[in-house]
Amino acid sequence: MSVAAVTRLELKRLAVRPLAWALAALTIAWLAWTFVLGLGQFLGAQVKLAAVADAPGFTDLVAIPLLAELAKLAFLVVPLMTMTLIAGERRAGTLALLASTGLPPWRIVLGKYLAVLVWLALWLLATLAMPLVVGLGSTADWGKLASATLGTALLLATLAAIGIACSAATTFPAIAAAMALIVTLALWTIDRGAQAAGVSGGFLEWLTMATHLQNLLRGLVASSDLAWFALAIALSLSLAIRRLAFDKERQ
Amino acid sequence: MSTSHLLNIEGISRRRSGREAVTDVSFSLNRGEVLGLLGVNGAGKSTTLSMLSGALRPDRGRIELDGRDFVAHPALARQFIGWLPESAPLWPELSVEEHLVAFARLRGAVRQAAQRAAQSIIARLQLGDLRRRLAGVLSQGQRQRLGLACALVHDPALIILDEPANALDPVQVGELRKLIRERAAAGSAVILSTHVLAEVVAVCDRVAILHEGRLRHDSPLRGEDGGASLERIFFGIATGAAA
Repeated sequence: MSVAAVTRLELKRLAVRPLAWALAALTIAWLAWTFVLGLGQFLGAQVKLAAVADAPGFTDLVAIPLLAELAKLAFLVVPLMTMTLIAGERRAGTLALLASTGLPPWRIVLGKYLAVLVWLALWLLATLAMPLVVGLGSTADWGKLASATLGTALLLATLAAIGIACSAATTFPAIAAAMALIVTLALWTIDRGAQAAGVSGGFLEWLTMATHLQNLLRGLVASSDLAWFALAIALSLSLAIRRLAFDKERQ
Repeated sequence: MSTSHLLNIEGISRRRSGREAVTDVSFSLNRGEVLGLLGVNGAGKSTTLSMLSGALRPDRGRIELDGRDFVAHPALARQFIGWLPESAPLWPELSVEEHLVAFARLRGAVRQAAQRAAQSIIARLQLGDLRRRLAGVLSQGQRQRLGLACALVHDPALIILDEPANALDPVQVGELRKLIRERAAAGSAVILSTHVLAEVVAVCDRVAILHEGRLRHDSPLRGEDGGASLERIFFGIATGAAA
């Protein structure tokens, strides 16, 4: 009940925040342009593709690259969306006010997290609507598209959880955004050194976010990948909750 | 410890920024009682009130609310406590009405009950003209009134007001005093923290004086000398004469 109250409050604030609208408008315009370009190239290559056995189709050449483009944008967009969630409240003094309503930290964190997830889900749906509309009139690989959508959704949920954890760690929203960006980039590329040394597999590869997203974008749904995202989300939210609980002790 | 009081505080202490901000403070409060909490800047008033509101946890000591351990059960704040912090923090992008509905819902009211509670407090605090105005464009006095409305929207048993008369004009200060007495008559206990002695004399039944984090004085208020004896006690403590 009170989680829903926090979510509603946060959604109301998001709905009137210029940053949320500006980010949504600019990124969807960029994604629409990317989609139109991809679709044009796909249509232009129809003759060549017809001559290739098992040639990649609309899903591989247009829909999944569009979701990959959204994933790239998310590295910047999600930290900007989450940076004020807790850091901004702490700075304005409204976090103490929220705590004084008797809400435990987990409800505050979960309520805010759900509100960002709603915004991100709408963002993903607006992007997904483009390939869906075209896919309905063509022969899309729905299974692969569903897997890629699941992967993108899990990536967004993970970035949001990391963003909230970073926002809980500081009083300055800009620092929270920078921290979230660095943490997610580090998680994305953590096995780069191992790859350069010619080592593949192992713990570092498992730890890397890219490994798990790539599988889902290729249409491969493995429980180990889903578990990685679930663990990353749970760990990030736990850190945010602990930090909020610590506020009462430390302030 | 007696459990007949609405609020019992026993030996609460709290360190902040590396120093003991509040040390071994004890007092109790009955329903219908208005306690004035006085002290110079840095005396520990806001830290004490933050602990009583549930925003801070005491390092030591016990806070009992309606006979229950408040530190162990901070969710009691939801039902029992209304807190107006100093400077009335608000969400600038929400309107007056949205604030009040949100606070009522955060306190557990369902939608219709929250809207009724919001309308009722809007009428009582004469915020009708400001109902749709965003908090970000309110004047300081209007912000203070909205903060007060947020603290009262769920009809709490314990009302904690930190410098509530800040930025209010004399008419609004008169209204505030009337409202405090009205709430006390209805059975709420009120803690009023202020620098202004006249405020305490006008509205409080009891006065407690904090100095350097310690409770130096706690007694019923005798208003027959217009607050002159309170002034003597306060300045005596504040300047060290009564230490």
